[in-house]
Amino acid sequence: MKTDQKKAIRLGTNSRLNGHGLPAYDNIINLKERSFMMLKKDLTLRNPLRLLGKENQDILPKGGFGAVLARAGVGKTAIMVQLSLETLLRGKNVLHVSLSDPVNKVSLWYKEVFHNLADQYNAQQVNQLWESILHHRFIMTFKVEGFSVPKLEERLADLTEQNIFLPDMIVIDGFPFDDGVEASLKQLKAFAEDHDLCIWFSVRTHRHEKPQPDGIPPELTHIDDLFEVVIQLQSEGKNIHVKATKGGRTDGLASGLILDPSTMLMVTESD
Amino acid sequence: MINDLTNVRNIGISAHIDSGKTTLTERILFYTNRIHTIHDVKGKDGVGATMDSMELEKERGITIASAATYCQWRDHKINIIDTPGHVDFTIEVERSLRVLDGAVLVLCSVGGVQSQSITVDRQMKRYKVPCIAFINKCDRSGANPFRVMNQLKRKLGHNAVALQIPIGLEADMEGVVDLVSMKALYFDGENGELVREESIPDTLLEEAEEKREELIDSASMFSDELMEAALEGNVTEDLLIGAIRKGTLTRELTPVLMGSAYKNKGVQPLLDAVTELLPCPSDIENQALDMDNNETTVTLASDSDKPVVALAFKLEDGKYGQLTYIRVYQGSVSKGSTIVNARSGKKVKVGRLVRMHADQMEDIDTIPSGYIGALFGIECASGDTFTAKDMHLSMTSMYVPEPVISLAIVPKDKASQNNMSKALNRFTKEDPTFKTYVNQETGDTIVSGMGELHLDVYIERMRREYNADVETGMPRVAYRETITQRGEFNYTHKKQTGGSGQYGRVAGYLEPTAENDFEFENKVTGGSIPTQFISSCEKGFKACLAKGPKMELPVTGIRVLINDGASHAVDSSEMAFQAAARGAFLEGYARAKAVIQEPIMTVVVETPTEFQGAVMGTLNQRRGMILGSQDEGAMCVIDARVPLADMFGYSTVLRSSTQGKAQFTMEFSDYKQVPQSIAEELIKKAQENKKNVA
Repeated sequence: MKTDQKKAIRLGTNSRLNGHGLPAYDNIINLKERSFMMLKKDLTLRNPLRLLGKENQDILPKGGFGAVLARAGVGKTAIMVQLSLETLLRGKNVLHVSLSDPVNKVSLWYKEVFHNLADQYNAQQVNQLWESILHHRFIMTFKVEGFSVPKLEERLADLTEQNIFLPDMIVIDGFPFDDGVEASLKQLKAFAEDHDLCIWFSVRTHRHEKPQPDGIPPELTHIDDLFEVVIQLQSEGKNIHVKATKGGRTDGLASGLILDPSTMLMVTESD
Repeated sequence: MINDLTNVRNIGISAHIDSGKTTLTERILFYTNRIHTIHDVKGKDGVGATMDSMELEKERGITIASAATYCQWRDHKINIIDTPGHVDFTIEVERSLRVLDGAVLVLCSVGGVQSQSITVDRQMKRYKVPCIAFINKCDRSGANPFRVMNQLKRKLGHNAVALQIPIGLEADMEGVVDLVSMKALYFDGENGELVREESIPDTLLEEAEEKREELIDSASMFSDELMEAALEGNVTEDLLIGAIRKGTLTRELTPVLMGSAYKNKGVQPLLDAVTELLPCPSDIENQALDMDNNETTVTLASDSDKPVVALAFKLEDGKYGQLTYIRVYQGSVSKGSTIVNARSGKKVKVGRLVRMHADQMEDIDTIPSGYIGALFGIECASGDTFTAKDMHLSMTSMYVPEPVISLAIVPKDKASQNNMSKALNRFTKEDPTFKTYVNQETGDTIVSGMGELHLDVYIERMRREYNADVETGMPRVAYRETITQRGEFNYTHKKQTGGSGQYGRVAGYLEPTAENDFEFENKVTGGSIPTQFISSCEKGFKACLAKGPKMELPVTGIRVLINDGASHAVDSSEMAFQAAARGAFLEGYARAKAVIQEPIMTVVVETPTEFQGAVMGTLNQRRGMILGSQDEGAMCVIDARVPLADMFGYSTVLRSSTQGKAQFTMEFSDYKQVPQSIAEELIKKAQENKKNVA
């Protein structure tokens, strides 16, 4: 039922119209619409994030957890925003929860990353695409001390009960991975499974703490079974490497990903 | 008037609605002995605040027109402009900031950095106005000045640093600790006029020392001397103030003071900070454009002996004629002298010169460089530059936003009709965001402005000040047309049947542009359109923009490129090419997929968290796109973008769905294409109206 409901919301109130307010007829190919779709597809294909998952599919399964680990200031938020944009470009809804930045700043992150991603395309189409994905994004910010899973559920219920917004994915930036985190994560896991959605977390690691032999850092030691995918950002020399410590593609394609410090975008080393 | 510019301050007081700007100004006037009794905004004594001199301002408890006043504090002469907080009157803030050297950003210690504070901050940035922040209402329950300081850093990106800490908060607020002098300040006497200096209470000593460290750390970034002194442990007050001032003038540091204007606490230290930290006119580099020299910038010297350059920034029509507020940037304007309006070239003899104090005025002989004053009996427009003879300089003008809402008004009787036109004449002259025109088809007089309250206030003023009773129609949104794709044209205008003929062919294309409302490019080669007719083509295209072919709405965002054409040795004329361009426009427009656009507003609702769902529901019903929600403890802030057409009457809806506990602000964001279903409805409505008129 939930998936149908999400689909209905995505179609908007008037299902006769496509995403740009134009009538959508099944047997007519709208050239403008087609080039717009091609831009979307192109951006998704060019996005190196797909190397972490399977092509045109979510990296995380429904009810799944993913974590982006890095030390402070390395680029966790940039990766989280890219993960979100990749999902938004596929027409899915993303709820971005930030416990560190205000709504405007999060918005700015999206704008910057999106325009860096699409800067070589026709500006008018890019703007149109940007406008169209905004409807699929919702930003919620909390103060770390005021955040709790029941509170998030309550806020989300405000949106879902009125069919305002039903997320397919939640991105939580700044979630405190401290002592009491296990209980909260289990609550969130149940919530994600109940609502057919996946959740990405940013996890801050520390220089002085050594990871386990399998690469999992101490922050996730007792809870790593909750996570399907763990991505780590590691600075090696001048580059910041993006590595899948757990989950993701195993065929080696994902091994050559780095974070370009000028655009904060992920690129393959060959780029 | 003695002219020592280092002792002059031109400051503005601006902030979000209901942060207490006018209350603060009232206290400033009282402590500087300009007034002898304090009257409250919306006060029970029925007098109202001094600066809210308009009857309507007193009744509604809001500032509508910015008012200028003058006061003296410890040998410093301070010109103050109190500006409206409501976003509908944003032009008043805009023109005040244009002529001010510094500003006090007032923030509510409970509400924090609200949406209008963000707008005001943006305006300050636009005119590079240095500011100090005053966190007001520290006596209110829920007051938390340090939370507001954090918001100042996070939301506005200010490098905010506390100059004070409060002694007690909410009902227990007693005074403030000055972190520069490390003294506790208490405000005694019936109206807090006696400042008592004491040593810092033991309970606050540790916090005060910690905050002073932070202050020295931040300030030392602007002074090596202070940094050395801090390392050696002998920071003097002068050194610290000097460094803070340096940071403030470059807008890299925002000193934060706190208090409660209503409870008469913390206002005198704020005045000290204004004199010590904000710039004097000669600290600011003002520039003008040399119109004789390809608009190159000329730096003006704050010297009263040099030739005069002044800017008329505000007009007011009163019973003694037009009052023109001016800021003199260079030279001085004296009674009997002759100045030239740089725009019209007209010479003007200066008659009466006054210094304003709300609605009262004081006659003066000279307005020296760096001062603000007003002239009587001078015909000019807002934004005109006045210079000495033989100078052709123009000050850069200010940003005037386009109106977004309009309303048809009909006078109730003949007398009202005359009075209405007098009132409209005055209001449009005074306020560049308030416009009026007559709809040629319906014959209705249409007024347009920045929001419902804006128009409401002018209609009320018409009734009160001009005795003009008018009936108003439904508010109308300023829709407009634009194109979404390239549309080619190749149009020949030919009329060669008897009499003198007309011939012109214009070819090229129209395409959308986001940069300007209208762009015209000539790529005609080989003289297929003779050069003398190119401007006629441009004129012809431009003429089509006023009424778009789709719905007769103004057309914007269009780029016209002509690359070919033809002319006739005898029959081609300017008129023929104008007509050809009009035909070409219609031809290209029909192929360019025209759409209707509507104004979208940025709406920010602040509501207790329990009503968050209800508020989001109301926004969603109004075709709103909710960008996000920000949890602020007991309150939550919802950011949304909503079409203006759906926002009429929203305040009533919001009140009823939140038990009156939520408030919202709305400001124009941009134009967006209307959804097809609504566009169809609009077209249908327009056609019906046309039929009715016919």
